[in-house]
Amino acid sequence: MGKIAAVAGHRLSLSNLEKDLYPAYGFTKAHILEYYRRISPFILPHLQGRALTLKRYPEGVEREFFFEKRCPSHRPDWVATAEIAQTKGERLTFCLVNDLDTLIWVENLASLELHVPLARAASPATPDSLVFDLDPGEPAGILECARVSLILRDLLSQLRLASYVKTSGMKGIHVYVPLNRKATTFADTKKFSKAVAEVMQRNYPDLVTAKIAKEQRRKKVFINWSQNDAAKTMVCVYSLRAREKPFVSFTRTWEELEALAGRGDPEKFHVLPEEALRRAEKSGDLFRDLLVKKQQLPYL
Amino acid sequence: MKNRRSVPLPSKLSPKKEKEVPLQGIWSGTISFSLVAIPVQLVKAVEPGRVSFRMLHNKDYSPLLRRMVCPEEGKIIPPEEIIRGYEIGPEKYILITDEELESLSPERSRTIEIVEFIATEDLDALYYDHPYYLVPLKGGEKAYRLLVEVMRRTNKAGLAKFVLGEREYLVAVKSRSGALSLITLHYSEEILPSEDIIPKTEESEAVEKSRLKKIIKAMTANFNPDKYADERRQKIVKLLEKKAKEKAPVEAPEVEEEEGEGAVDLVAVLEESMRKVKRGR
Amino acid sequence: MAGRAIWKGYIHFGGFQVPVKLHTAVKEERIQFHLLHRRDQVKLQQQMVCAYEKAPVPVEEQTRGFELEEGKYLLVAPGELAQAEPEDSRMIEVHEFVKSTQIDPIFLERVYYLEPDGPVKGYNALAGSLGEMDVEGICTWTMRKRSYVGALQMSGKMLRLNTLRYADEVISVQSLELEKTPLSEKELLIGVDLLKQMTAPFQPQKFVNEHRKKLQQLIDKKARGEKIVLLRPRRLKPTASDKLLAALEASLKKVA
Repeated sequence: MGKIAAVAGHRLSLSNLEKDLYPAYGFTKAHILEYYRRISPFILPHLQGRALTLKRYPEGVEREFFFEKRCPSHRPDWVATAEIAQTKGERLTFCLVNDLDTLIWVENLASLELHVPLARAASPATPDSLVFDLDPGEPAGILECARVSLILRDLLSQLRLASYVKTSGMKGIHVYVPLNRKATTFADTKKFSKAVAEVMQRNYPDLVTAKIAKEQRRKKVFINWSQNDAAKTMVCVYSLRAREKPFVSFTRTWEELEALAGRGDPEKFHVLPEEALRRAEKSGDLFRDLLVKKQQLPYL
Repeated sequence: MKNRRSVPLPSKLSPKKEKEVPLQGIWSGTISFSLVAIPVQLVKAVEPGRVSFRMLHNKDYSPLLRRMVCPEEGKIIPPEEIIRGYEIGPEKYILITDEELESLSPERSRTIEIVEFIATEDLDALYYDHPYYLVPLKGGEKAYRLLVEVMRRTNKAGLAKFVLGEREYLVAVKSRSGALSLITLHYSEEILPSEDIIPKTEESEAVEKSRLKKIIKAMTANFNPDKYADERRQKIVKLLEKKAKEKAPVEAPEVEEEEGEGAVDLVAVLEESMRKVKRGR
Repeated sequence: MAGRAIWKGYIHFGGFQVPVKLHTAVKEERIQFHLLHRRDQVKLQQQMVCAYEKAPVPVEEQTRGFELEEGKYLLVAPGELAQAEPEDSRMIEVHEFVKSTQIDPIFLERVYYLEPDGPVKGYNALAGSLGEMDVEGICTWTMRKRSYVGALQMSGKMLRLNTLRYADEVISVQSLELEKTPLSEKELLIGVDLLKQMTAPFQPQKFVNEHRKKLQQLIDKKARGEKIVLLRPRRLKPTASDKLLAALEASLKKVA
């Protein structure tokens, strides 16, 4: 069932609004669109100017999904795009979610998850930030990730680097270090994050691994430093995740994270859309500084 | 040494007994002897006491930095555009990358392998180049302490070779007050011969020698390094104190911070920071 | 051949005087590299550049400053520093004699050979006395506008001056904040045994700068256009505390 909506100046045809995309939880497309509409002031600054990779679940989270890098050719003409050269040399056209219309249009395509690179499309070889993607190997989980992220934060503080943290919305935690300098390259961020990951592994060998091999990751938190790459993407902050429940990749203050880790209940880390909206509307975008703070990686 | 000042000067000017300075990791790796391997970090053991000055641009008092400049264009060339070359002919160079240098002795660039021990009294100070300390990294504390204690009991030093930066060093590892010190040594081929300096004859006047020994005996005391001060440094400090009272200092314009000079090893700094983090936790 | 004499002075104490010439004792052999611009292999020069303007600054526009606090400097004119320089004198004044074993090696900096400058008998008497009494003379002197403190030593039949570091230039072991990890007597005894087995007389000529040889080979290989294989640095696995005793015992078996 379709609907024509006037969204912020453009006319969009919205479809399948009653479709339950999170059947076990009861979250329909309409709910999803409503969430993204309300979270848009907070999420848009983090999407603007970045080559979007859509993760589409047209039949809901329990069915097939597909990644879509190439901006769908049937897009409205007002959707902004950028052409970016890929690793093999071919140039791909990506969608840029620069405004609410485009966000709604993308969500109408059931792109429940929004993934973006660490660099903006205008300068794809210059990362604005460095990320530590903490990924737990069973039976380790988000609690162990929280522990690791707190140690990481202390280590980064010693180097006078401010860092910001969010849950991945699944079992992991992402720690970001804003850089925002033209001179930074992915070679720099990769080298730095790898060195940090290896030092963490050496000092906490039972808790942390810097190695990608699956056997090495059991029971440990894998610090995936290789995400610092022009060809890689991270789930955008405030994006929904396609799990049984629509958890949000949500920001935490370090104090909150410390308290959560102390309480020891993994469930308390997860944020559902209602709570995400309430918190964001109350405290604003905790990741705002990630976009503007200038920092330099030392000792490279 | 008493330091009477009315204007407080930065602590680097005030002399302290055996300095307390924040540690700076220079290198990290492993030290081994036979089958025992100890993860360690190399840190400074001495800090020059000279008063250090900065060169400034007299137009705006901005500090000057040493940078590599292309003489033709008069432009500063950033580190990523610089390569090392060995001259084999006029304007003909063989280029050598960092990886190629590191791969010359791969086992030695991360390991100090002690191949033998010698009696410390046999190690002539003539060979000494530069001293460092080794500090243990996590997991190595026990083996480190063992090596320190065992070398102390036997009064021995370990000899090893290791690669730091572009150079391979012969080093002596010694035990000092519960820590391991590492001294880089000169190779024997670098020690100049002294045969032509030594007097051909040992002749001396017996009377003179016996008088001399009496004087020496009378002048014998216990060694106290604190007795001796760097007079030049003291004079410079006085001069600076006087200036600080007379005139306000000049201010340099705000400069965007550049990447640090000097090859301080990233990993060594991280390990050192990790130590601090763990102490705090 | 020893190096050229770099300075002349005379050792002085208690009415006794020995004129000497100072020679350097070490000549470092290093392969010299030039730094080149990657793009066109033009040889680069090191120059002083202005941090603010990011351009080279000629010598006439350079001035010396002492950083009082971040960004604030006390200017020092060249003439002013000259006033702080010690008076030139040729005297190496010996203040006291100490037992050689009292000088902590970490204070020893650089050795200079001393050659008698003329009369030899006084030189020999001093060398002989120092040797027989096993003492070193702590002395101060000024050389090339810098003041030094050093130890006057006897080695073989020769006198040497070993410069010393000032007390506050040595970083204390306390600042390393080392843990006092407990050790078992068994581990210590095996350790001592192991060390003794691995002991040899000090023969420095055994150790050759192989890296320099390998570097020269690399340069030659590249000059011939040969392909270079890169080897990665390897890290040894650290010996765990609970495996230390076993490692020591295995080592002892290996060297014995």
